[in-house]
Amino acid sequence: MNDYFISMFIDNELDLDEKINFVEAVHKDKKFKEQNVELLEQEKQLQAHVGTYMDEMPIAAKKSSKRSTFKFWVPSFAGFATACVLLIGFFMLWSTPVKINEELHRFVIYQPNAGQAKIVGDFTGWSPVAMKQIGDSGYWSVSIGLPEGEHRYSYLLENGRQIADPTILAREQDDFGGENSIIKVSIAI
Amino acid sequence: MFEAFYSAHKDRLFGYLLRKSGNYHLAADIVQESFTRYLEQYAEREHNPALLFTIGRNLLLDHIRKHRSTTTYEDQEHGQTIDQEHVFQIREEARQVLTALEKMDEEERDILSLLASSGLSYREIAKITGNSEANIKVKIHRSRVKLKQILKGNRP
Repeated sequence: MNDYFISMFIDNELDLDEKINFVEAVHKDKKFKEQNVELLEQEKQLQAHVGTYMDEMPIAAKKSSKRSTFKFWVPSFAGFATACVLLIGFFMLWSTPVKINEELHRFVIYQPNAGQAKIVGDFTGWSPVAMKQIGDSGYWSVSIGLPEGEHRYSYLLENGRQIADPTILAREQDDFGGENSIIKVSIAI
Repeated sequence: MFEAFYSAHKDRLFGYLLRKSGNYHLAADIVQESFTRYLEQYAEREHNPALLFTIGRNLLLDHIRKHRSTTTYEDQEHGQTIDQEHVFQIREEARQVLTALEKMDEEERDILSLLASSGLSYREIAKITGNSEANIKVKIHRSRVKLKQILKGNRP
């Protein structure tokens, strides 16, 4: 009997006739049997757990690391008036102001040929929010405060083209033939 | 539907890439990239684990190739060893196997890593590694026997 039948046995690759021959060989030949047991023991070790893939939600989830804090309350050197102006400006720039219990999430998409990019999601009330082009890198980004829980969104490009976030694996068909990405946000305590 | 495929195979693919590369972080990055590529190119097809493993394997080979061309021999040696941070997170028996796998030829390590992680058939493994079905049986067994010799040699 060929030695490689041991591996085929371990890997469930023997057909019925081969199984008959194999069982007979194991029965007759003690050395063959021992070789089998040794390799089966080794297989347990080979298949032993080496690690778990930790990232449940890829890339974009990792990018959101900033906890929502009121950093912009820090008084500026120019005094209270400047601070007020900054604060108002900040809220104007920010379409969705970050509140307590929200996670500031940065959405990024690579669309070098797009003339514009917007994001729509449950957190924008499904109305498009413009994304900002990052230099001439081809990337567009926007940061939005998200409450804890599951969120659905997609990107809108020119001509009403809608695409899901290519870096997020969890997706769902929407009711209009498009696709939404799903992310989970958890707020660190 | 894709989520089910993802949960069913992410740990398997990760296990394969980790056994093959010995590098925890690299394996994690490539799992991510593999699923993204798979989704971009083959989302419409019926889900195919062999294809996913092929994508992961190619990404890892690309990485190794690029790494080799830009680093010195010493760096390569360093890259071959299991990253230390991860060593403390895994059990002794798994660590022994990862160390033993590093001592094997690239093809042997590839075959055994696929075998231990993927749940794929000989036919699929033959296709991914560019072997004939007749040939893969022999190579698989030979690799197992070699692993046994290395593990025995490792024992104190």
